[in-house]
Amino acid sequence: MGGNTGSRFNDDVVIEASGLKRTFGEVVAVEGIDLAVTRGEVFGFLGPNGAGKSTTVRMLTTLLRPTGGTARIDGHDVQKSAAAVRRIIGVALQDASIDPLMTGNELMRLQAVLHGISRSESRNRGAELLARVGLAGAAGRRVATYSGGMRRRLDLALSLVHEPSILFLDEPSAGLDPTSRLALWEEVRRLNSELGTTVFLTTQYLEEADELAGRIAIIDHGRLVREGSPADLKSTVGSPTLRVDVDPVFLESARQVLIGFGPERPAREGRCAIGLDGGAGRVAEVVRALDDAGVTVSHLELDLPSLDDVFADATGRRLEGAEK
Amino acid sequence: MSVATVDHSTNLGYAGRVASAICGRGMRRIMARPTLIMPVLLMPLIFVLSFTGAFGSLTRVEGYGTDNVFNWMAVYAAMQGAVFAGVGGASTTAEDIENGFFDRLLLTPGSRAPILVGTMAYSALRSTIPTTGVLLVSALGGLRLPGGLLTLVTVYVATAGMAAAFCLLGLAVVYRFRTMRSMILIQVCGFSLMFLSTGQVPIHFMNGWLHTVARVNPVTNVLRFARQGFLGDLTWSMTWPGLVALGAMVAVAGALAVHQLRRLAA
Amino acid sequence: MTCSPTQPAAASRGPKSEPSAVSAGARTGLRLAGVQTLALTRRSVVSEWRQLGNVIPGIVFPLLLAAVYTHQFTRVILLPGFPVVDSFLDFVLPASLVQSVSFGATESGTELARDIENGFFDRLRASPCTRLPLLLGRLGGAVVVATAKGVLIIAIFLLFGTEIAGGPAAAVVLVAAAVLLVIAIGGLGQVLAILTGSQEAVNATFPLVFTSIFMSSAFFPTNLMSGWFREVAEANPVTWIIDPVRRLILEGWSWSDVGQALVVPLVISVVTVTMAVVALNRKLSSS
Repeated sequence: MGGNTGSRFNDDVVIEASGLKRTFGEVVAVEGIDLAVTRGEVFGFLGPNGAGKSTTVRMLTTLLRPTGGTARIDGHDVQKSAAAVRRIIGVALQDASIDPLMTGNELMRLQAVLHGISRSESRNRGAELLARVGLAGAAGRRVATYSGGMRRRLDLALSLVHEPSILFLDEPSAGLDPTSRLALWEEVRRLNSELGTTVFLTTQYLEEADELAGRIAIIDHGRLVREGSPADLKSTVGSPTLRVDVDPVFLESARQVLIGFGPERPAREGRCAIGLDGGAGRVAEVVRALDDAGVTVSHLELDLPSLDDVFADATGRRLEGAEK
Repeated sequence: MSVATVDHSTNLGYAGRVASAICGRGMRRIMARPTLIMPVLLMPLIFVLSFTGAFGSLTRVEGYGTDNVFNWMAVYAAMQGAVFAGVGGASTTAEDIENGFFDRLLLTPGSRAPILVGTMAYSALRSTIPTTGVLLVSALGGLRLPGGLLTLVTVYVATAGMAAAFCLLGLAVVYRFRTMRSMILIQVCGFSLMFLSTGQVPIHFMNGWLHTVARVNPVTNVLRFARQGFLGDLTWSMTWPGLVALGAMVAVAGALAVHQLRRLAA
Repeated sequence: MTCSPTQPAAASRGPKSEPSAVSAGARTGLRLAGVQTLALTRRSVVSEWRQLGNVIPGIVFPLLLAAVYTHQFTRVILLPGFPVVDSFLDFVLPASLVQSVSFGATESGTELARDIENGFFDRLRASPCTRLPLLLGRLGGAVVVATAKGVLIIAIFLLFGTEIAGGPAAAVVLVAAAVLLVIAIGGLGQVLAILTGSQEAVNATFPLVFTSIFMSSAFFPTNLMSGWFREVAEANPVTWIIDPVRRLILEGWSWSDVGQALVVPLVISVVTVTMAVVALNRKLSSS
């Protein structure tokens, strides 16, 4: 688990949103989003594709006008003081925002100029940042020659040029290979612990949210459905999930037995799942009860709650693909 | 918490640096991919060659003001090229929107005005390429300057202004529709506007609806301003309407562009 | 049985050149080719119609040009050496027609390039289609659209007072000449499509076609041009088509003019379509 929970924790709320809403014509992409992210936090925004994560990020970073609600970044309203907001945030979006015709160095220099960094300072910072993301060798080449992973890394470096106190990362490890993903996580942790950067990251990967975020908000179909630290969220789901595979003939009787031990949970075909009240110790009872009912069990497994369970509990669907 | 940054809201020097960085980026892209500028350069050259070739005997008609068809057509071709260059400047933004780089530019701290100004400046600078090309080719064809070297100044001013105006118009369209394909709309508008003016014949050659359209068309004034040195001396009475027309076109197009940009993002 | 790529080549018909089935095979083969051409033509027309956005400029633009020039050139038609006309409109009719049909002429080429680019062509190839219909079908679409445009343009000009001295027959010749020109340009576009497989390359021919119409006698009589430009214009095949057609409109019927107006584009079409077929055969047999 990540997040800065040390004593440097200020009570400043640096990202706050109230009733944030965005519609595109008839479609309501995001509605009723309330957020409060404190300084120095790593905040995770977790949800499937199309949930409204990117839309929310774009509204918070002044790239999109909200159709309702308000948001403030470090006290500045995103609509009324947009220019001031942009001064203090760094943003790396889902599609790397780069120009393929320019070289890495040229992009760095342009970014530095856009943020009012002096020429000499920009030379040093640019080189340092490019080296940190492992692009020192490729910096002189046109970005069109970069791989997808290299482009994301460049994008991250660009977002850090002005040492922003608040960093927005929209699906930062989408499309990255495992090594690069780990390197990214390292970098995010370092930015947060060494520099105290507040990080707002969106992701559809449970592991990423679990690993990096001190607090998570789960978003589905444009609405917030759960919020809290990973530990707290998992404990609300509470009980471990018990999954039992049976022959279709016995499915209904198995179900009848199992729901006596806890609430039903989503499961795939031919399988029945419940949240086992009272914990793993009751497995023996369950097996005996199934046996008494004449149900033949082909497979049984017990899983501790995961964020996927939290999501399933909140929305009735699983986040990472098919039902288990 | 940010280091080494300046106060963006009041620093004019900062705005100027941003604008020139955007302009410089545009020019550097042309050098990175010279094929970008080829159509902009070739089209007006083909224009001036085919129009002076096909309509060469137009100037035999009484009332043209010159017997040298290049003296008449060169400015027209150069301004068509400038429109093309202006739209091309907006096309760069269209490409940026399509590949996501525009978000980076939108995240510029402070006002976004320098980005508009920089793009406009890039278009105006870009237009010097076709203008110079047309003037050189026309010189080979016998172009003369009765109004002296100041004539060249008026031509470059007019073409830079046209490029700026059509860049801003193109930006307004691109901010609204966010695709490359929407540029064709402006291309066609620009060509038609130029066509429905005194590009090819003097105004007293026209009658009916065309005469009316050409009279109210601001491009007619700009053509008169830029062409005067090729037909005779430069006078203030032919200059100021052209400058007003250019200023008005840039102002209106600029307002449209700013409005659409505000609608696009906060 | 139409030549649809969604039907797998289950009953694969052998090549038409099976000696044992020559007479009967040739007859059915020809009939089949005809049906296939018709089906592909229909597909091509539908596709062109869907791109109405392409068709509209092809009508509006030449008409705008004609209208503006007519108003601008009221004194120009009085120049000595200019053919005798009541209005520039009479002069420019063939030009507007040629310009209008040229707007869609490269479409068959870009369509073919697009099919090649996205692999549809490979599917067509695997189907029991014979070679020629693949090209002719596409051109068929262009022909239909060009005829429609031609008729519309002539109708509009007639509405605005143009008279065709050669009568309705001359109007037919005018449309026919334009259609043949479309086939010629279309064939050229298809050759490019087969050789380069790129839509962009084929699209680049449109400005060339557009310019070559200006560098002809379309908008101004060649006898009033001078210098190198006049030589270029007089050597331009577009001039060889537009001059006799214009005489049919302004002066009246003449078999020699009809002959020239039709033979020139016909010869060019035969050449470019043959080139396209040859290129196609080479491409298909090489893989």
